[in-house]
Amino acid sequence: MKLLRANKAGLSFHISDREKRALFKLLELYPLVPASYPKLSRAGSRPEDQQLLEEALNAQRNEHKARVLAMLKAKSRFQAEPHGHRFNLKPAEAEWLLQVLNDIRVGSWLLLGSPDGMVKIFNALNEQTLPHFWAMEASGDFQMTLLHALTGETTAAESDSPESEE
Amino acid sequence: MPEILPDLEEKESSESKSKSELEPGYLVICWNDPVNYMDYVTHVFRKVFGWNKTKAEFHMLQVHNQGKSVLTRESMEKAEHYVHQLQKYTLHATMERDE
Repeated sequence: MKLLRANKAGLSFHISDREKRALFKLLELYPLVPASYPKLSRAGSRPEDQQLLEEALNAQRNEHKARVLAMLKAKSRFQAEPHGHRFNLKPAEAEWLLQVLNDIRVGSWLLLGSPDGMVKIFNALNEQTLPHFWAMEASGDFQMTLLHALTGETTAAESDSPESEE
Repeated sequence: MPEILPDLEEKESSESKSKSELEPGYLVICWNDPVNYMDYVTHVFRKVFGWNKTKAEFHMLQVHNQGKSVLTRESMEKAEHYVHQLQKYTLHATMERDE
């Protein structure tokens, strides 16, 4: 996925057919982080406060899930162009997509057994865990592309430049 | 007619509780984990706290190098709010009493 244009109105990417399929496959996994994973406090919190956190996160998760489903269904989101598609996002949409992708990344890491470091990740790889590793790395890759587009940390040729047809 | 007295004890207790909850006695802490990207953590700090890049990167590096960073000291309610926001981005953040 390559950034074509970034400005206040939104972000515009070129995404190949293969990348689009990978993105859809990833988004179908959402949500991956178990609802009981986030803790309000390490020292322990009142059950009602912990419950409040879980309810807030669940509400957000349901909202994101609905947005993800809408994105997967809306054909207008991806406009066909040579060698792939034009993928347009408003900044707020990129922000929630970033949260969704990070949930998939962290959730995949948890499914791998929360390994600390690549050596431990590779040691944990087998036929069952390989899909989690793929999801963790692929979501991270999309995440970084989005993040750099949002923060403007892209090459001069990509940021706020006239759209280029490749 | 029986004399009705205000329930001072309960009122005091409730007042002191809300006072304690309003005092900035809670630390919002972000803990290190090996999965969140450094750039992502910086971005989240900027979004949630409205910090500039330098301050956000300072705290991100503190998390990375020291295992944790105290992001802010707030009342219970505000600390809860910030933890909720950080958890929405799947960061490992908690609130702890500043003893």
